[in-house]
Amino acid sequence: MMNLAWVVPLFPLCSFVLLLLFGRKWGKASAYVGIAATLLSMLAAIGVLADRLGGTTHEVNWTWMTVGDVTLTAGVSVTALNAWMLAVVAVVSWLVHIYSQGYMVGDERFSTFYAYLGLFTFAMLGLVLSPNLLQAYMFWELVGLGSFLLIGFYYDKEEAKAAAKKAFIMTRVGDVGFFIGMLLLFWQTKSFDYDDIFRAVGDGTLSPGMTTVAAILIFIGAIGKSGQFPLHTWLPDAMEGPTPVSALIHAATMVAAGVYLVAALFPLYEASEAAMMTVAVVGGVTAIFAATIGLVQTDIKRVLAYSTVSQLGYMMLALGSGSYVAAIFHLTTHAFFKALLFLAAGSVIHAVRTQNIEEMGGLWRRLPWTAPLFLVGALSISGVPLFAGFFSKDEILAAAWMNGSVELFWLAVAAALLTSFYMFRLFFLVFAGPARHQGEAHEAPASMVGPMAVLGVLSVASGYIQTPWFGSFLGEWLTDGSYHHEAAPGWIAVVATIVSLAGIFLAWLMYGKRAVPRDWLSARAPHTYELLRHRYYIDELYRWTIVAFVSFVSRLLEYVDRFLVEGLARLAAGIVGAAASAGSRGQNGQAQTYGAVTVAGLAILVVIFALTGGYWL
Amino acid sequence: MTLSAYLALALILFCIGLYGALTKRNTVIVLICIELMLNAVNLNFVAFAKYGPHPGVHGHVFALFVIAVAAAEAAVGLAVLIAFYRNRKTVQVDEANSLKH
Amino acid sequence: MSGTDIAFFLLALAAIAGGVTMLQLTNVVHMVIALVMTFVGIAGLYVLLSAEFVAVVQVLIYSGAITIIMLFAIMLTRHHTDERERQTTGGVWHRAVAAISVIAFGLAVYFGIRQLDFGADGSALSGDNAKAIGKSLYSYYTIPFEIVSVILLVALVGAIVLAKKDGKEAGDE
Repeated sequence: MMNLAWVVPLFPLCSFVLLLLFGRKWGKASAYVGIAATLLSMLAAIGVLADRLGGTTHEVNWTWMTVGDVTLTAGVSVTALNAWMLAVVAVVSWLVHIYSQGYMVGDERFSTFYAYLGLFTFAMLGLVLSPNLLQAYMFWELVGLGSFLLIGFYYDKEEAKAAAKKAFIMTRVGDVGFFIGMLLLFWQTKSFDYDDIFRAVGDGTLSPGMTTVAAILIFIGAIGKSGQFPLHTWLPDAMEGPTPVSALIHAATMVAAGVYLVAALFPLYEASEAAMMTVAVVGGVTAIFAATIGLVQTDIKRVLAYSTVSQLGYMMLALGSGSYVAAIFHLTTHAFFKALLFLAAGSVIHAVRTQNIEEMGGLWRRLPWTAPLFLVGALSISGVPLFAGFFSKDEILAAAWMNGSVELFWLAVAAALLTSFYMFRLFFLVFAGPARHQGEAHEAPASMVGPMAVLGVLSVASGYIQTPWFGSFLGEWLTDGSYHHEAAPGWIAVVATIVSLAGIFLAWLMYGKRAVPRDWLSARAPHTYELLRHRYYIDELYRWTIVAFVSFVSRLLEYVDRFLVEGLARLAAGIVGAAASAGSRGQNGQAQTYGAVTVAGLAILVVIFALTGGYWL
Repeated sequence: MTLSAYLALALILFCIGLYGALTKRNTVIVLICIELMLNAVNLNFVAFAKYGPHPGVHGHVFALFVIAVAAAEAAVGLAVLIAFYRNRKTVQVDEANSLKH
Repeated sequence: MSGTDIAFFLLALAAIAGGVTMLQLTNVVHMVIALVMTFVGIAGLYVLLSAEFVAVVQVLIYSGAITIIMLFAIMLTRHHTDERERQTTGGVWHRAVAAISVIAFGLAVYFGIRQLDFGADGSALSGDNAKAIGKSLYSYYTIPFEIVSVILLVALVGAIVLAKKDGKEAGDE
């Protein structure tokens, strides 16, 4: 099955092309095309994974083009990491396709939505299979395009258009770093291939300084794509897109691409102390930063978005602390429970037609399927024992501690407290208490509940593949047997549990039982509250500095274009026009004008003859 | 007097006639200036007949032919002018611009 | 400075003066009179060049017949507003282009003919002009001679046809 791995991205690509061509005619049947394509893709991916479980890395390359003495190749690489990501992405994508059939019902661009989903899935699967940086970059950009198209899906909303542009431009800023890093590596090693780069790192062709610089530059690309601080502001705004999009792209797959990239280039990062430190610090800071903002948001999707940013910070922290396994493990569990949370949020929004949690409440009884599944997701993300999130978060905390970065460890613990607090704040405000919504709230159809249920099971079960007590299957397989589980201090797990439960308890006190008034913090520290509510004013900062500067430059260039360039063009046209009108004045029907012109020509000829003493031809 | 003096004089007359033919408004004057140009040419022929490389009467004969043809041309030209005048009631050259686009 | 030289200068002056005056005058009839002076001057130059026959023919035909025919044409096409209108066509540009090209042409040709000298003194031409012309006209140039007579006939007929009034107009008049 492994040597047919290239087939996996092709099914969604076919779905995309077919739906572009015939979607309008097929209407509602487009969903079945999309679901079928991703089902086939998923089955193939699981097949590849099964094959790789027992086997070794399979790689195949085809020559793409030869420029001078440089040969560029394109190909497919099935390492353990790639096979695992393939399966995760394919599963989540398939579930989202099924869910969208229920959620997007009645939308007049139904088939276009499925086409874009197909394009995105193709790009993500292709990214994950790339054996070299150039191919990865191409799919990286394509993934960004898919994200742009899907965020701006409701294009008659101004906010959606602006959010799509913001997402694309901000990730583009990160991509510049990626591109420069990629070129630096090519310059030093004459190749884009991962294997060649790792070899160059190993035998010293790549100097330590160059390694650090390239690693950090590529990490900048990851910062953009994974929404780390300071390039995080696009992610919450990307919630303007339909909820299935948020689930697929901004929870499970695209934002994980940054983590995947750093993981795929892990030998490069391991070789550089400074790069690892950068990754870890950025991750840790982002984790706590986003968690604080999530505390005070009132839009259900935005809370989940900041939660995503925060969890991605955790993954980067894991990578920076040297534990690639912990990062991938958390990526997997996060994909499942975050997708579940988003899909459940979508179901809630579908029921009450609002995204403002202040207008929700008491939905536990009215949404008998959605509510428990949401609870499962919330428990998982909060790190409550026996759920998947507990195991993966524990791995990260252990990695941070064992790496020796004490400050980052305590930051991560604080972030965990905040995570469980805001998740349960969300839960209690939405599902508990008196009902504050208008109209009737009805449960979601089966096509929406089904995928959520599957994800619910995965949110619990996926934790057991890597635990200190039941066996570290994932770790051993991912690192081809070189993994050994260092005995982390047992108290870390205890501290993590206490912190999670404390967060839940505090949230219950404040929002469930109402024992503590809601404005306990906001009344005592109004400025802090405002700061958090306005997301640390970072959007405003960007607007007044970077955006203002770029607008100024673009206006300047617009003037140049309008006056200089267009002026030159008009000058050229004007000259021709003037010459034409001058010429046409010579055709006035007067015989004497013609005669004068003739004599003038004669005079010129005669003068030339006189000056050159004869024929000059 | 030298040959070049006669030739220079003929050249001056020719140029005067040419300028007049190009700039005068009355058609009759244009025809007269053409006659002046032909006279200058005649002067050239006769000068070459005397001071040229092969002196002889050939220049004179040619000059006589030129005079004859010039007279014929003047007659026909004036006939055209009369016809034009009858049609357009004007003899100004710049009124004869029907060929203008 | 021999007598022929003085005569040459005076006659040349007369010819050029006539031409220039013609360009400057406003009355058309006066222009034609100025031209007569030029023709007569040129006839005098022909005499200096030992071309007596041609000189006489010049006076006869040019200052006689052609001048009269021009005067007839002027009088037949006379407008009473002639003097007050401007005399030249086109604007300044047209006149400037014409003047400059004519002067350039003149100067260029002048540089060519400045030092022209064939070393002949032309003494072989004096006397018996008419006889010599007649001889060559009827022997060497017989055919052109006949053809010129045909040309004159054609010109005569053509002029009459062109200037004739149309049948209708003749009937109305």
